[in-house]
Amino acid sequence: MTNNMEEKLLDLLCDQAASGLNEDERLQLEKLSAGANSDMDAQSLELAAAAIMMAEMGAIEAMPSHLEASIAAAAGKYFTAKGSESSIHESIHDQPTKAFKWQETRPSRSFFDWFGWAIAAAACVALIGTFIYEQNRIGDLQAKVMQLTPTPVVEETLAQKRDRLKKEAADVTRAEWTKGNVKDSEGVMGEVVWSDEKQEGYMTFRGLPVNDANKEAYQLWIFEDGKLEPHPKDGGVFNVSSDGEVVVAIKAKLKTNAPKAFAVTIEKPGGVVVSDRTKIAALAPVKTA
Amino acid sequence: MPGLAAASVLTRNFYAADAKSTDGEWKFRTDSGSLLSTDNCRFVSQTILQRIADGDQSAVQDCIKSYGGLVWSLARRMLRNTEDAEDAVQEIFLDVWKNAERFDPAQASETTFVAMIARRRLIDRIRHVQRRISADSLDEILAEPSTRDDKVLQTNVEAREAAKALDQLRPEQRQVLQLSIVHGLSHQEIADATGLPLGTVKTHARRGIIQVREILGLGETAGRKEVSV
Repeated sequence: MTNNMEEKLLDLLCDQAASGLNEDERLQLEKLSAGANSDMDAQSLELAAAAIMMAEMGAIEAMPSHLEASIAAAAGKYFTAKGSESSIHESIHDQPTKAFKWQETRPSRSFFDWFGWAIAAAACVALIGTFIYEQNRIGDLQAKVMQLTPTPVVEETLAQKRDRLKKEAADVTRAEWTKGNVKDSEGVMGEVVWSDEKQEGYMTFRGLPVNDANKEAYQLWIFEDGKLEPHPKDGGVFNVSSDGEVVVAIKAKLKTNAPKAFAVTIEKPGGVVVSDRTKIAALAPVKTA
Repeated sequence: MPGLAAASVLTRNFYAADAKSTDGEWKFRTDSGSLLSTDNCRFVSQTILQRIADGDQSAVQDCIKSYGGLVWSLARRMLRNTEDAEDAVQEIFLDVWKNAERFDPAQASETTFVAMIARRRLIDRIRHVQRRISADSLDEILAEPSTRDDKVLQTNVEAREAAKALDQLRPEQRQVLQLSIVHGLSHQEIADATGLPLGTVKTHARRGIIQVREILGLGETAGRKEVSV
């Protein structure tokens, strides 16, 4: 196989792992794979793709117990059909087992045993002395460090960060929140600000209902002009835990440019990759000048 | 050598609590209760999938407990509704039983292998759904490229390692991989959506995935081991 052919084969294997192949590409791969040992590469690239998917997965949820039971039942049927239940496993476990005991030998105590204890006791005394000395020294050091430690810098609140962004960024996009399609969103007010240059933005809400974080979460979606439509970008998942004004930082996972609208949907905890858009809590179209 | 002869028995149900080191030599309890010395042999505990491949049905519960959350979370993140996710999870576990014997701990961790099987099934389903959706009304879709929550939330070590590997890629490579691998978009769809030339999309995807593979050491026969003592 020539270098060019090897490169083409690797390209196809990468494409296959990342996004699948079309019919032509599949035929090319079959042709190039014939005679080449590409199985290992194919699987390692698929494993890499799986690892990437896990990286993007977020928090792990527990599987519902009814589903667990159903899978266990299906496994029972599968193994029965496979006829492997009476394999090596059973033959091992049918054997009588004995309680395991560590072999412990207790030789009679000799002079060397007592000598050993004496050495150990002396070492303990030395250790205690060292400990007391070290404690005093650490106390002195801590006092010195306290004198040298500067006053901690108070981190900006989200509201302060938002205000700073509005003041400093030259390209701030603003939009006002309006009600969505759920009843509780009637009184939603506030604004969203975003800077393309800084890739930073904040949402300010008033009247967005407190959500039960165990049951649902709010998720922001950012619509850009013409790009990725109808695939808006995820702006992050958040919860509202108090009434009054709430400021939330936008966590856009991908570079966002010239947003044309923002939407907050109500999703399951942790958010979703694809929203069915049944519950929209707030909408903020960007008004063009 | 008696130790080696017993190794095949020992490896089926070996737990760290059953091992004890005395005088620098590790000894292990066998199922029959006898004490074995390691002598010159190395004991390797069987992974869950290896036990399944051997027809050990008790490993099924271990498998569901160990990977149920992972598979369920992947399905929930990638599919639109709970019913679809439940169906997919059942199919995935069936695939896992069927493919258990193909697992090689020298190439990847068991978690990554299970995730790979899950991904194959989920991508199939996503592509089917996308075709169905595009035949309906695109206006009804609110779809989005993959998301990554705070890494702190990720509870499996492989996910954290993979996240670190992704962070080492160029942003364009990362974006293309997110769109293709997680969201199931074709290269052409990514090119249309991002405005990048098709060739550039392909290059980003290829270089990115190869880099991740190298960083994580996947598929290296002499590389990582799942469990060894």
